[in-house]
Amino acid sequence: MESTKLVRTSSSTRVQVFLLDNLIWVIMIVLFFIFSLTIPNFFTVLNIHFMFYDASAIGMLVFAQALVLISGNMDLSVARNAGLTAMFVGMLVRVWAKGVIPTWAGIILMPVFGGLLGMVNGFLVGKLKINAFLATLSTFLIYDWMTYVINQGAIINLGRALDFPGGGTIFGFHFAILVLFAVGAVLYFLLQHTRFGAYLRAMGGNPEAAGMLGINLTSMNFRVFTIAGVLGGVSGLLYTGYLRSIPSTIATGDSIFLSFAGAIIGGVSLRGGEGSIVGALGGVLLLGLIDTGTTMTSVAPALRGVINGLILLLAILINKSRLDLRDRVLMPPQRQA
Amino acid sequence: MAKNESKSLGAAKDRDRALLRLEDIGKYYGTVHALRGVSFSVSEGEVVGLIGDNGAGKSTLIKIVSGVTPKSSGSIFWKGEEVEISSVKLARRLGIETVYQDRAVVGSMTVAENIFMGRELVRPFLGVVPRLDRKRMREEAGRLVVDLKLNIPTADHLVRFCSGGEMQGVAISRAMRFRASLVILDEPTTALAVSGAQQVLDFIRRLKRENIACIFVTHNLHDVYEVADRFVVMLQGKVVSDVKRDDTTVEGLVGLQLPRSATGA
Ligand SMILES: Nc1ncnc2c1ncn2[C@@H]1O[C@H](COP(=O)(O)OP(=O)(O)OP(=O)(O)O)[C@@H](O)[C@H]1O
Ligand SMILES: [Mg+2]
Repeated sequence: MESTKLVRTSSSTRVQVFLLDNLIWVIMIVLFFIFSLTIPNFFTVLNIHFMFYDASAIGMLVFAQALVLISGNMDLSVARNAGLTAMFVGMLVRVWAKGVIPTWAGIILMPVFGGLLGMVNGFLVGKLKINAFLATLSTFLIYDWMTYVINQGAIINLGRALDFPGGGTIFGFHFAILVLFAVGAVLYFLLQHTRFGAYLRAMGGNPEAAGMLGINLTSMNFRVFTIAGVLGGVSGLLYTGYLRSIPSTIATGDSIFLSFAGAIIGGVSLRGGEGSIVGALGGVLLLGLIDTGTTMTSVAPALRGVINGLILLLAILINKSRLDLRDRVLMPPQRQA
Repeated sequence: MAKNESKSLGAAKDRDRALLRLEDIGKYYGTVHALRGVSFSVSEGEVVGLIGDNGAGKSTLIKIVSGVTPKSSGSIFWKGEEVEISSVKLARRLGIETVYQDRAVVGSMTVAENIFMGRELVRPFLGVVPRLDRKRMREEAGRLVVDLKLNIPTADHLVRFCSGGEMQGVAISRAMRFRASLVILDEPTTALAVSGAQQVLDFIRRLKRENIACIFVTHNLHDVYEVADRFVVMLQGKVVSDVKRDDTTVEGLVGLQLPRSATGA
């Protein structure tokens, strides 16, 4: 009777899929060896430590962008969220409410305020059903100019407490790196092992189907932008300690583009529904690795920007063939053309 | 409640047996009068073929029953009790599962993830956090896939690689797994070649063996004649015939779909 038998995926197929899914790490290890062998003083504990440290604040933005992209949206405002959050909370604890609100409370207020800014996006996209590109473009402009309206200079002398998450060390180890990995672990669990994560990938892959299966798209959109906002706030906090001050230019420049670049290099698809946190982490570390490598070989700063762009292009091409290859490995033999 | 409404003993008995009963359902889309007082019922384990010309209102009717669109007037009775099916979620909770050809699956996710979508199995992690029980979902999905004789290598297979018939098999698996009482299929065989259509008809026979009722919407009278117990024919927003399979032929069904004036009856 049994005409169809369920076969298990062969172990060679599984190894191939594993390697393809983690291609970013393979590339990184190879590149790491190349740099270690060719660049003097590259392979030192201090240098590697700094590479991770350098990646932590931008890493929060990459994680945020990855989640939003997986849900089938995009967030152009998340880096400005980090900037406005840092500036607003910095002014609150150091100027407006100095002595009333203790400075260390900024550590809690930044993620909270970032979350509130994220909720605005969530409301615009989820409830008002505004296209995510347009909604977050608007909030990007608003947050950008609000930062400047609040303060055109920099807040300095923030105090040890507020500097600690982004600038402090424990046993000589940067606390920010712990934040990077801890947040990464929590988000990995959220995306891979909870209903929320399954719904996020479902709505990104096919929103119509997700809706028909009873997934509440309004609330999912609201929640994913809120989480992105919280991560933006944490990023603002890490930038604050990294710079040991809050200039009005905090988290400007490349930050928003790097958030997309890191996520996409890490295998997150712009189409939605596909990507992982582990990949996004790989993406941000690869950017950091290349940045460190080019800095140490005294490549001109402007040229480093060009290199970043080229790397992104290369990554997109590699990802395209990676996914084709993955499909070919997984496809049942009788359907292979 | 049900007793007060019954007009005769026979009708009361009939009503008690009905799994789903629609009474005088009306639907406007703005000014378009899509349904003009539709009444019919489906018994437990019964396969009903819902047929009729383009624009007759078949899809509108099933969208109302599956919670996609609200009705404008009339009543829906489910297992003898009046219900408001205000959302897809509620319909699924009642045990009404709708199969849309390829629209209710997510291609970038696996067969197992699709079968359990929206109703994932979880297990407490660290005592409190509900963590997806992927292992169990995979095992159960694997059994369903074998049971429905789907030509899918594993439950980890991406739905993107499935054929149209297999995608419907995935949706049918949902109905089997969550013990639906009624499965609605809107034109499931329309886009399929002969073998795919036969596969879907086999799914319907399989559901019937499990005593799960079906409403099968189609323009293919030969397909529906193979599996249906009864045919409900709609025309311009109304039910114009309700016949048992034994009382008609495929040719007879063709005639029933035409406007009265055309048949001269
Ligand atoms: N969303 C809508 N807005 C306005 N009118 C609609 C809408 N959906 C359906 N209609 C109209 O309602 C009527 C019934 O349509 P419906 O889709 O239910 O027919 P059907 O019997 O499923 O037809 P077909 O066999 O072609 O699928 C048609 O006149 C159609 O134009
Ligand atoms: Mg239709």
